Amino acid sequence: MMSCIKRAIYKGIDMKILACFVTMVWIFTVAEIVEGEQKGKMNPEISLPAEAAGWTWDGKETKYNSKTLFDYIDGAAELYLAYGFQGLRVRKFEKPNQPPITVELYEMASSEDAYGLFSFERQDEAVGIGQGSEFGGGLLRFWKGKYFVSIYADGGGVEAESAILTMGRATADLIQGIGTEPEFVDLIPGKDLGLVDRSVRYLKSHILLNQRFFIAHENIFNLSRRTEAVLAEYTREKQKTHLLLIRYLSVKDARDAYQSFMGAYLPDAGGKDLLKTEDQKWTMARQRGEVVIVVFGAPTASDAEALFKTTEEKLLRARWRENKE
Amino acid sequence: MEEKIMTRRDFLGVAAGTAMAATLGAGILGEAKAEPTARVVLIRNAEVVGSDGQVRGEILQSMLDEAIKSLLGTKDSAEAWQNLIKSSDIVGIKSNSWSRLPTPKELEAAIKSRLLDVGVSEKDMAIDDRGVLHNPVFLKATALINVRPLRTHHWSGVGTCLKNYIQFVPDPSSYHDEGCSPLGKIWTYPIVKGKTRLNILSALTPQFYGRGASFFDTRYVWPYKGLIVGTDPVAVDAIGAHLLQAKRIAFFGEDRALDVPPIHIMVADKTYRLGISDLSRIELIKLGWADELLI
Repeated sequence: MMSCIKRAIYKGIDMKILACFVTMVWIFTVAEIVEGEQKGKMNPEISLPAEAAGWTWDGKETKYNSKTLFDYIDGAAELYLAYGFQGLRVRKFEKPNQPPITVELYEMASSEDAYGLFSFERQDEAVGIGQGSEFGGGLLRFWKGKYFVSIYADGGGVEAESAILTMGRATADLIQGIGTEPEFVDLIPGKDLGLVDRSVRYLKSHILLNQRFFIAHENIFNLSRRTEAVLAEYTREKQKTHLLLIRYLSVKDARDAYQSFMGAYLPDAGGKDLLKTEDQKWTMARQRGEVVIVVFGAPTASDAEALFKTTEEKLLRARWRENKE
Repeated sequence: MEEKIMTRRDFLGVAAGTAMAATLGAGILGEAKAEPTARVVLIRNAEVVGSDGQVRGEILQSMLDEAIKSLLGTKDSAEAWQNLIKSSDIVGIKSNSWSRLPTPKELEAAIKSRLLDVGVSEKDMAIDDRGVLHNPVFLKATALINVRPLRTHHWSGVGTCLKNYIQFVPDPSSYHDEGCSPLGKIWTYPIVKGKTRLNILSALTPQFYGRGASFFDTRYVWPYKGLIVGTDPVAVDAIGAHLLQAKRIAFFGEDRALDVPPIHIMVADKTYRLGISDLSRIELIKLGWADELLI
């Protein structure tokens, strides 16, 4: 449905019709979420493995909903709620003389949300499980469809790590169907401009954005569940630059957010969209239709311009493709 | 007048050396070199944790006494405790019960023992974590002792003394924005304001690296066998965060990023004025076992 909305925006469908459509979609989505929470049930077709590599399930499964998630996460449940958390199932597996293994299966509102949750903390090498995965420090994280899965042991060891991967593959196989990645992520320029591996984050709230790259205490970009933001890191001669793209539901929303950002972050830019900040690096911000593009910490003004131009070209190509369809 | 929004640029303008500056890449300073404005004691003992993981209570007690004596500059530990706590005080010992790495019971017992020595009535003291808002001793406490393990934390970067007071508010999730940067605000509320006499980070077996909310892996816990003690919670936390960072560099060969940088430590200093986060302004007194000290 989100893809339809995006296409409608690209194609310039009458805004009143679009607004009605978006409202209907929103009501329908909220109704779905509320119904899911009231039932407190997970998708019934997903069954978790009961055994893998000699580790056997202890027979207990704990379930959490959006109200009880805080009990399990010890305070950090906002991360999951921001990505449309629907439910969590936790199982523990045991094997004599080996550390216990925990499997966490998170059901999210959409595959884009599952991808976003995965991207938020991605930092290790992929291991080919699900639609996107990483394994490092004894922790396996992957996403598939609208599910995000986390598997880890209480201690190290070759056998436990092997079992975690086996458990991960078995779990991924039991999740039927695949989901789509957010199309918006494709607008990020690649390695030719110094994109850092695994640095792309798909974000749904300003709290999450600030967790990865602090910008301001207040929500000066007006981010919400109805906006899409992508953050990526670039390096050039050991200097870090960050690129932030945000897509709003309307051009007006984007304009308002852009002006909010300029007023709070670059009030001394003197009407320009580029400024050398206190760290002697450059920040650039521009609005293009319903998208706001910001470059933080570029070593030179021309570096900021180059990153912006490449992003803008990708945005224009995406719009052209959408119009052509 | 409209309140100014705090942005990244405000931190870019702050002098290097603060915990926040370190998270922004400026690098953390190693030793005190300017006029000290906060004192923190780091004490270690190679025997306090056995090879079986058991904590030796009598050694821990002597470490705590020695640290308090040195912190307050008294001739003996009894005088130091009397300077901290009066017999008429009602004392809440704010502990931490996270199941994977709780405050050691031996450390709670060591504190309680000294409170009894000072003359605090047993009915006027309590040890609690998640129940503090419903604990009658905490509700009428005149003094607090803040004690918890040193570890990384999924949402605040590090789990240290400032973070330990989140149970004093009914809505902890309201303090999770921006790496828990508003945590210092809790310390301004009447239930705790001005009551904290001592902050203790148990660095017996700190957790120096973690991923995700409930992650715990024994490979990233090491027997440092120390206590970090001070009256300034921000300074204690800054030293704790520095130690974890030093351990990550030693272990991984780089400062492998935490889930979130510990912004709240600097915000507690700069915004809430709770103490000193600038390592160059902290006098760190190191006592005891010096092997692999790291800081």
